[in-house]
Amino acid sequence: MIPLICSVNQTRGLPAGLTQDLVLMLVVAQLLAPAATLAAVGLPALFGFPLGERRTTWCVGAGFATGFAAGLATLVVLWFRNFVPEVVHLGTWFAVGHHAATIELVADGLSVPYVCFSSGLCAVVNAFAGKYLHREPGFTRFFVLLAVFGTGMNLMVLAGSIDVLFAGWEFLGISSALLIGFFHERQNAVKAALRAFTTYRICDVGLLAAGVIVHQAVGSGDFERLFSGTWPHAQCLVPPTTATLVSLLLVFAAMGKSGQVPFSGWLPRAMEGPTPSSAIFYGALSIHAGAYVLLRCEPLLDAAPLARLLLVMIGVGTAIHAVLVGSVQSDLKAMLAYASMTQAGLIFAEIGLGLRTLALIHIVSHAILRSLQILRSPSALHDRHELEAALGGHPGSGGWSFKDMLPEKFQRLLYRVALERGFEEMAVMRGVVDPVWRGLERLDAAERSWVEWLGKSWSWRHRRGGP
Amino acid sequence: MDDEIRNGRIGQAIERAARFLPSQGPIDIFVAQNILQGFEDEPFEAAVVHAAQVYGTQPFLAEARYREEFARGRIRDADLEAVLAADLGPSAHEPLAGGRLSLQELLLALLRNPVEKEDDVTVRWTLSEADDENHLATTELWLACVEAVASARPAVLHRQPPVRIRDLLQAISPALDTDEHTNPLLIRVCSSYLDQGVATWPMPGREKGLLGAVISLYEAGFGPTEPWNVGLPAALAAARGRNPLSVIAQQIDLLGTPPGMEEELIERSLLSLRGWAGMVRHFEDRPDRVPVAAVPARLVDFLALRLIFDRVAAEWIAPKLGHGGELARLWTELRDRYPPRYGAGSVARAFMVCQVARLVGLSAADIRSLDENEMTRLERAIGGFDGITRRRLLHLAYERRHEIELLDGLAARASLVEPGLIPRSGVQAIFCIDERCESIRRHLEETDPACETFGTAGFFGVPMYFHGIDDWHSIPLCPIVVRPRHTVIEVPESNASMHQALRRSVRRHLGRLKGGLADGSRTLIRGGLLTAVFGAIAAVPLVARVAFPRLTSLLFHRADQFTKRRIRTRLELERTDDTPLPDGTLAGFDVSEMAAIVRTLLEDIGLEKGLARLVAVIGHGSTSLNNPHESAYDCGACGGGRGGPNAWAFATMANDPRVRSHLGRNGFSIPEETVFVAAMHDTCSDAFTFYDETAVPATHRQEYAAFQRSCREAGVADAKERCRRFDAVPLDVRPEQALRQVEARAADLAQVRPEYGHATNAVCIVGRRARTRGLFLDRRAFLVSYDPDADADAAILARILAAVGPVCSGINLAYMFSCIDPRGYGSGTKLPHNITGLIGVMDGHASDLRTGLPWQTVEIHEPVRLLFVIEASTARIEAALTRVPAVARLVANEWVRLAAWDPATDAIVVLGREGFRPHKPESWSLPVVDRSVDWFAGQRGNLRPALIRAAFDERRTG
Repeated sequence: MIPLICSVNQTRGLPAGLTQDLVLMLVVAQLLAPAATLAAVGLPALFGFPLGERRTTWCVGAGFATGFAAGLATLVVLWFRNFVPEVVHLGTWFAVGHHAATIELVADGLSVPYVCFSSGLCAVVNAFAGKYLHREPGFTRFFVLLAVFGTGMNLMVLAGSIDVLFAGWEFLGISSALLIGFFHERQNAVKAALRAFTTYRICDVGLLAAGVIVHQAVGSGDFERLFSGTWPHAQCLVPPTTATLVSLLLVFAAMGKSGQVPFSGWLPRAMEGPTPSSAIFYGALSIHAGAYVLLRCEPLLDAAPLARLLLVMIGVGTAIHAVLVGSVQSDLKAMLAYASMTQAGLIFAEIGLGLRTLALIHIVSHAILRSLQILRSPSALHDRHELEAALGGHPGSGGWSFKDMLPEKFQRLLYRVALERGFEEMAVMRGVVDPVWRGLERLDAAERSWVEWLGKSWSWRHRRGGP
Repeated sequence: MDDEIRNGRIGQAIERAARFLPSQGPIDIFVAQNILQGFEDEPFEAAVVHAAQVYGTQPFLAEARYREEFARGRIRDADLEAVLAADLGPSAHEPLAGGRLSLQELLLALLRNPVEKEDDVTVRWTLSEADDENHLATTELWLACVEAVASARPAVLHRQPPVRIRDLLQAISPALDTDEHTNPLLIRVCSSYLDQGVATWPMPGREKGLLGAVISLYEAGFGPTEPWNVGLPAALAAARGRNPLSVIAQQIDLLGTPPGMEEELIERSLLSLRGWAGMVRHFEDRPDRVPVAAVPARLVDFLALRLIFDRVAAEWIAPKLGHGGELARLWTELRDRYPPRYGAGSVARAFMVCQVARLVGLSAADIRSLDENEMTRLERAIGGFDGITRRRLLHLAYERRHEIELLDGLAARASLVEPGLIPRSGVQAIFCIDERCESIRRHLEETDPACETFGTAGFFGVPMYFHGIDDWHSIPLCPIVVRPRHTVIEVPESNASMHQALRRSVRRHLGRLKGGLADGSRTLIRGGLLTAVFGAIAAVPLVARVAFPRLTSLLFHRADQFTKRRIRTRLELERTDDTPLPDGTLAGFDVSEMAAIVRTLLEDIGLEKGLARLVAVIGHGSTSLNNPHESAYDCGACGGGRGGPNAWAFATMANDPRVRSHLGRNGFSIPEETVFVAAMHDTCSDAFTFYDETAVPATHRQEYAAFQRSCREAGVADAKERCRRFDAVPLDVRPEQALRQVEARAADLAQVRPEYGHATNAVCIVGRRARTRGLFLDRRAFLVSYDPDADADAAILARILAAVGPVCSGINLAYMFSCIDPRGYGSGTKLPHNITGLIGVMDGHASDLRTGLPWQTVEIHEPVRLLFVIEASTARIEAALTRVPAVARLVANEWVRLAAWDPATDAIVVLGREGFRPHKPESWSLPVVDRSVDWFAGQRGNLRPALIRAAFDERRTG
């Protein structure tokens, strides 16, 4: 049974029908605005008539601004009805008997503020990039990808079913990888993009599998069949085993996008793209996408203490790893990447501990602060000189830290661990990638010899039967 | 003993190879220098080709670029003919193809028209697939060419195999690149070792040197390391405590480099990451220029590490090639497989001959009539005229046109303006020679036609370490080749010191807070709390900075004023105690030194007599945000610092009555009524800052105020002129809007082009301003004031050339090469730049240190060698050059172009390979406009000289 979550007596004086229609329109606007700019900027470029720089920036910016405004308006409407979630049914992809794949969005106390925040941030970065990328050959491409990202972000945030969420999630992944490889004439950039994309794809398996299980369990991907109530106090509607299984898979999916150990190796390398995209992706929005998905499905986690325990462990582990490794990074962007990773780890731990509101605030705060820091990173020398002038000397190296307690030999050892980025990548390479690779190679060899054998016997027969 | 000899040899080889490393130091003091400094001993044209081989870069612009310039008339036919004739000399008229055409005709045709050089496969494809109407394969000419080529002898080329095993591997199987494995680790350890304070945890053991530090970190192998470096701990442990030179020798042996190729191996290995190697070298050479931690970096350590890494990686990769033995055998094996390159195949040759024949009008019959020798000669002539040669000649033609346009402008101006128009009534303003000061001087003269301007190297003859009141340490303010011997401190006026103490403490607390926040956001617990609780506050600066950059910066600036400046300060210029400071310099100058400085400068610029009542000394600097290359926009003559303090110091010295009386006793008088004032011009925001205004006596206040107004007005006009270069600013921008636009650029986080720095510089004119005044030189000319009348023995000219020669040519060549190859010589686009170690920038997360200028700075540059125009007789120039061998070498090897402008007759002679030859103007016409703005309005590109009427007093214009 689909629980009815919206009723007239819960609203503050506005008729339910009106608010429903309003929310529907506004939510669609949030989604369509960036998508429309994507078409407006992308299509002319596709046919070889790119809009000018000014128009491109303006157009994409207007899309984000509209999304932001629509988000704010939705927020007001929601306030009138005590943030009771509004499910917007856009259509059904297919339905077979009791099973249906529907296209649903949800506007509630989590998704709508998040849309405001992400659209607003995108708008700011868009304005920044308009000047920053002036005369860059890939100007239009950048803004097209930014629009893809914005559309995907809003789709993911507003998703009311795991299917829609997955679609948005994939938009995010592809735009992120393509922006890391923005300077595709450089080998490093392409490699870093490929690495990020591979990590994403591996972890996407988690989300996909979760979707399949959800469909299997409740006959549709809709969140309202999984949990009900007002965020953050919704109740889980599925048995704990399903909840645990889905939660674990979601955690796995989230780890990749949010750069959690042991999938964090791509993050420092991702700093190959232009500075504004680094800021919005790895300082602000993309890095928190995993955390958002977990917040979205929090009721499932509630019913899955095992997943929560795992989440706390991963989060704390990542935070410690990132702080240690970050402390030896000598280039600004890697240093900031690890700083982001630290906070993302803490946010994971907070979610695991059930501190949802704190986690949400932490995400927003951290995203804003970090994107400013990344955007400003080319100013490091300027800022440093100012700071030195103010202090009348060099700033010290941050005072006491844990490492000072260790004997010198262990310090050296620990430094090396940090410099090698905690051996994380090699451990994954040796433990997972290499065995899988070898297995695939064996399969490949087997197939080749089989094909060869087949080919031989065929040609033998052919020759015998030939003229 | 043998070992010692060998080590010595290796040491020398390293020294020789080190001259090819980029000389750029830590980026916070960016000094524009000749990027090909190591090649200055060779003549320019040969040097750029040599350098291109060494670095794998481009010697000239792409041929297509020159052809574009040819198409739009920037290069003309006459230029091509002239440079070709000069280059060929007597062989120009050598007959080819049985006398049907001369060598010159052939080459000229090839210069004018692009001829595609294709390989056999492409030509075959073209022949079979392309179906144009007069199908080439069926034409008579094509058949004739095929036959003719078959009879001629082909030219075969051989390529030397590379020496580094990695290069050899790469050439044979491009998928195997050991650098791909070794470089990330080498970059990481170099960056951590040289770090000046990005990492909160500095590398332990840095005092042991780069090699020592890495050994102590890595000799104990543990953890799942990357596959290639499994052998690294053992290799490093074996190097422990040994002389790096012996380590290098051992690695060379293990790598199996054949004897005799040692030197090349060392060179290639150092150049494989030349940015980092150069930075290590810089730390070794100039520890005084290292910002914070002058760690004992040495190039030998770097090379030892490089070779150890290479060897370990090669040993790891050898089995993958089915090779288990030692690397020496691998090397030989690889070399044998190294593909030699043969000449073009017969189809390609025929295609080439066919194209050329069509171009020069040879018929099939003509081709058929050539015998084997004739045909071979024709083919050799075509083949010898390769891409590099064509580009070289196109480049010379490109420079020639620039030279003619400029010299014609100078000659025409001399014929239009009667001499003796020097105003002596108004203010005299002394600027830097910087080509950006050309426009501000011109606008000042237009605003106030009574004003007279001068140009001199922007440290105003005051080489000093300067410790400003807001600085925590002193910085050198003088050309990079000079090491100052004096330190000058800025102190608060005695009645303001209390005030100062308070401000300073507020500032320190604010600084500590800001630093704490920035650091804290990276830590675990503090960072978590900080970001979660206060992070959202960052939305305010984020939105404000992006949406309203100019207003935000004004606001921040106001806030800053509470803690900085505002109080009256003075320079502690005079030395009271002769004991040297801890750094070996003297605290200030004594009266005789000051007198010498004042006298030298005034003599240099030709102002021994006729000083006005008010003399302004104006330095320059540049402020921009989010710009790692900020220092590149500052004053080159101040070694990448700002010239304001030098101007102030000079004015203070010249105002000192004791200095004046000291000068008077030596027969050099400064009139009592003359007052010197100092200012600084911000070349980015076009703002003027005036120093120590209370020093102006009441009698001069009115003139001073009027001069300040003129400066501001000139600043607005200058902003308007600069805006024409910015694509994003509409051409019809109003002057006040233009000023706001440049102010916003200086304060905008998102702006990667705060200004264009020295881009477009092309000329250096040494002579009296009276001869260039009113001439629109488009911010492309360094203007050095020099009075030939007062310098019979060329002593002053020698002094001037010694100071401005290296500075101007260094700037010019830095821009030139960064523009010619923005990725090879320049630092590429700024967008992915990542500051590392506070010493430089990388592309993305792990690349070589990017030296040179970014593309955004040089994109509007026109790469031509600096043309020195010196107002002196050729004899005097030659006399001066013999005293300045460094500049004489630049001239002799043609790294700069030189023209002499006769002070008496206005005749111009240009230095060529056969000595000076007279410049015959092509045209005597010079556009005349009222004001500069009338000439540049609506134009984005470079402009020819024009005469500006407003710079002259109306009554006296001819």
